[in-house]
Amino acid sequence: MAENRNVKIHVSHLKKNFKKLEVLKDISTDIYEGEVVVVIGPSGSGKSTFLRCINNLEEITGGEITVDGMSLTDKKTDINKLRESIGMVFQHFNLFPHMDVMRNLTLAPVDLKKASKEEAAERARKMLVKVGMEEKADAFPNQLSGGQKQRVAIARALCMEPDIMLFDEPTSALDPEMVGEVLQVMKQLAADGMTMVIVTHEMGFAREVADRVLFMDGGYIVEEGTPQEVLLNPKEPRTIDFLNKVL
Amino acid sequence: MIKIITRYGQLLLAAMQQTVLLALCGLFFACILGIFFGILGVTKNKFCRAVNRVFVDCIRGVPMIVLAYFIYFGVPALVNSFTTGTKFTLSALQAGTICLALNCGAYMSEIIRAGIQSVDKGQMEAARSLGLPWWRSMYRVVMPQAIRTMIPSIINQFIITLKDTSILSIIGFPELVNTAKNVVANTFMTFETWAIVAVMYLVVIEILTVISRILERRLNRGRE
Repeated sequence: MAENRNVKIHVSHLKKNFKKLEVLKDISTDIYEGEVVVVIGPSGSGKSTFLRCINNLEEITGGEITVDGMSLTDKKTDINKLRESIGMVFQHFNLFPHMDVMRNLTLAPVDLKKASKEEAAERARKMLVKVGMEEKADAFPNQLSGGQKQRVAIARALCMEPDIMLFDEPTSALDPEMVGEVLQVMKQLAADGMTMVIVTHEMGFAREVADRVLFMDGGYIVEEGTPQEVLLNPKEPRTIDFLNKVL
Repeated sequence: MIKIITRYGQLLLAAMQQTVLLALCGLFFACILGIFFGILGVTKNKFCRAVNRVFVDCIRGVPMIVLAYFIYFGVPALVNSFTTGTKFTLSALQAGTICLALNCGAYMSEIIRAGIQSVDKGQMEAARSLGLPWWRSMYRVVMPQAIRTMIPSIINQFIITLKDTSILSIIGFPELVNTAKNVVANTFMTFETWAIVAVMYLVVIEILTVISRILERRLNRGRE
């Protein structure tokens, strides 16, 4: 199904070391426009690092990543510009605690002169409606529950009008009853055609929403395919072992 | 006691003014140095961090009295050994300001560095992931949060610096301690003079403390 789509993120022979520790050894994959890719794997397998390499929060050690045809390692690439089109959602939300929700959402668009104050506020309100948080526009982050914080964080990323969204274990720090509301927002995004790369332990969500599942272990992609293939009929022993433990 | 106050009160008050003037001059430049070197200390660049370390270690490793002698006597002597003609000198105020700025600046840069590092690094990452450049992220997101934790330490450093001006009596700057010494030499009223001087310091520093409490409360109010 991916043949007639554009490659959005091209990763070839990606390597990442932290000092002497090799976290990513050789990662190659293409992520297509509108595709929802879920990355699973045991902790320490490098899945978060892989995600963080895509928007250059971690500088890559070797190999190449291109996003929209622009190489991250190319000195001419304006990383800040590129990041504007890549939204990221973190495990610990990372909302700005000294600003209310509205200001959290409008800070970057206004500061980067992508929009006037009024335009940014209008878009922020739209995004808050989208994530069901319009009533909390004046609240400060510490007045919100975990699920609410994460929905605001998603709205904040969306305010930059990205065409790629990265999710780094977005529900891992949430109380169980709040996981659903965040996954619901993400499902909606997927349905809208957003290109998404999601690191998660929510296997049910992966099965339902993913176009493709990557199983990572030890710095490699061990197995990839549709959720049917990887989650229900895994071939690699390591995948089988992992799924037996988490399911 | 009354005699000291009536005869020398004016003089001591003027000296206190000089003390405050010197402290303010020193603190002004100390803030600039502190912010500059503090930010150097949190950059990714190894060279910048090394510059920060050398500055802080050198200044912290030398007693301020030595620093004062070095700047007031040492530096002009060195400069004059290279040049002929007009003699290069530093006034006591100039040397005192440099001395305080360097000393306090080193401690301030440590406070600022630690304050910035106390902010969760997820904050910088979130700001960067939105496309904000490093400087904008620092200015808009990290610094406002860091300043709240830094304020008590900075005020504390201000108070220390105000008291450190007394060390500069040794290079002849007419601040409070230096003036008090002259009063004692004239009157031999040791107890009374030094008691008055102590109370004067106490009052000025108490004012600073009160201001800092108000400032702290204000900053914390925005925290909810």
